[in-house]
Amino acid sequence: MKQATDEKKQTILIVDDAATNREFLIAMLEDDYRILEASGGSEAMKILREHSSEIDLMLLDIVMPGVDGFEVLAMMNDCGIIEDLPVIMISSEKEPSTIERAYKMHVTDYIDRPFNAFIIRRRIVNTLNLHAKHRRLKYIITNLVYEKEKNNTMMVNILSHIVEFRNGESGMHVLNISAITTLLLQCLVKKTDRYHLSQDDISLIIIASALHDIGKIGIPGKILNKPGRFTPEEFEIMKTHTTIGDQILRNIPLYAQEPLVQVARMICRSHHERYDGRGYPDGLKGDDIPIGAQVVALADVYDALTSERCYKKAFSHEKAYQMILNGECGAFSELLLDCLTDIHQDIIRELNTQSGVQRPTKLLENLVSDLMEYNEFTDLVYPLKQIRKEHEKESFFAERAEELRFDYDSRTSIVILSAWGAKLLGTDKTVHNMLESHLQVMNEPHVKALSEHFHSASAEAPDVEEDVELIINDKLMSGKLSARTLWSDEEVPRYIGVFGKVTDLKPVENR
Amino acid sequence: MTLQECYSALGGDYKDVSNRLFNEAMVKRFVFKFLNDQSFSNLCNALDRADYEQAFIAAHTLKGICQNLSFTRLYHSSQLMAEELRGGAPDVQNAQRLLSDVAEDYRITADAIRRLQAES
Repeated sequence: MKQATDEKKQTILIVDDAATNREFLIAMLEDDYRILEASGGSEAMKILREHSSEIDLMLLDIVMPGVDGFEVLAMMNDCGIIEDLPVIMISSEKEPSTIERAYKMHVTDYIDRPFNAFIIRRRIVNTLNLHAKHRRLKYIITNLVYEKEKNNTMMVNILSHIVEFRNGESGMHVLNISAITTLLLQCLVKKTDRYHLSQDDISLIIIASALHDIGKIGIPGKILNKPGRFTPEEFEIMKTHTTIGDQILRNIPLYAQEPLVQVARMICRSHHERYDGRGYPDGLKGDDIPIGAQVVALADVYDALTSERCYKKAFSHEKAYQMILNGECGAFSELLLDCLTDIHQDIIRELNTQSGVQRPTKLLENLVSDLMEYNEFTDLVYPLKQIRKEHEKESFFAERAEELRFDYDSRTSIVILSAWGAKLLGTDKTVHNMLESHLQVMNEPHVKALSEHFHSASAEAPDVEEDVELIINDKLMSGKLSARTLWSDEEVPRYIGVFGKVTDLKPVENR
Repeated sequence: MTLQECYSALGGDYKDVSNRLFNEAMVKRFVFKFLNDQSFSNLCNALDRADYEQAFIAAHTLKGICQNLSFTRLYHSSQLMAEELRGGAPDVQNAQRLLSDVAEDYRITADAIRRLQAES
């Protein structure tokens, strides 16, 4: 049981080159705390690099051979650990300049020798208690902010996904529009301040961009999904999706005054206006068209051109770009077209790499830069950056692993494949409704059996291992599937998805 | 020999140390541990090699430990030693003279502790 109690104990890292000094401190603290020791500055840095999140307090000597205490502090300041880990310096140096230097480098406390065992313990306990409370709060807030942001974005995406679903479009349209809108806006605010766009305005436009076509919910399916050209009457009906969207949002009780709703209404209504005044529904001209709607209109046209639709094939990025510049599709301001030119390569890269793994990273990036604006929250940035680093690592390895990895969310029916896996199967990394799409990787009885196995796993025993047969490039291959099923947090957990990988792929001999 | 008698033999301040550390057992435990401490021999070796940086660190550590244990006599000589060595360019003759003081005080201190150890 010792280990169990050890885990609850807070951890103190003692850094001192003299064993006798470390023993002193250990004797005073070991009953109540878990102790880590470092006999020098470089060892301390190594421990910090690997375990800084587990350490609650550091006791640091100044005079040590090799890397001394001040160098350790400098490193902790450089990489931000000092924001998250309190340091108490213990030294027989009494020079006021030395003590002042330590405080300037953000140590929490400075204790000089000879110390009184009672007092040093009290000071350690106080620092730990204060910091532990602060740290717990910080993590709670970090997680709350992250979850809330994620849920917001997810709700908006689900909503617009519903519209697109009816439209027979892939869920990628919403994501692409928001990616292009983001790039355009970032470029635009660098070029001019004539639209007075704050960071808040920009994030509102990006979130609201997902709702631009919400009015299509009011267009009859027959017209919406007509493969051929519209008759003039049909086109008139189709055009009303702009005003319907505006109306739906205007009539939302309670939230009508919310900035997000206002911005979304403006985007719904005006994203088919043209800079030359020949658009609809209001025939607005030039900068009478709200800038958010201008940007989303350009993003919408670009993504529509480069995607396959029921009435057209996909154009290449280069072709789409030329068509827009030549004024073949809509009319935009010179300024926005300049932005498009500047960021065209970024758009291509962004749309090609967008995948489930990277989206949370994006979200975190925005969060980090938002929080940087508030001094009170700068110390949230370090833990957030840690989370972001984890995401980055994860996506880095996922991109490079030569494995068929998959991640399936049963609520959205979206499968995300590793880059290598997608290439192997000859498909996109994100596949919606895999079973119903053209992608037939398994025979139907096998799919059913596997799905039953996933459902019959449980939150307590979530792992599934089994031999599977896959059809890859029309050839039957056998492999080993290892997967972990995911379950909801409800009292009776529901199956919500599965992730895993298929290894040892070999051709099946003809039987 | 009591712990208190040991302190008077080595020129220390028993009252001070017993005020600062939890109890007599703990003081005793660390007084005995002092015999295993390497900083005095590190100091001698470093001075032999004329490595004044390491010598400073060793003297500084010895001073800190003596301070914590209220070994007043050895604290004073090791403190003078450390200050002479700080900066890495001591007056060599003066350093030698200070080292013989430290060595003498260290001998007195260690002898007293060994006697206490033998009798308890």
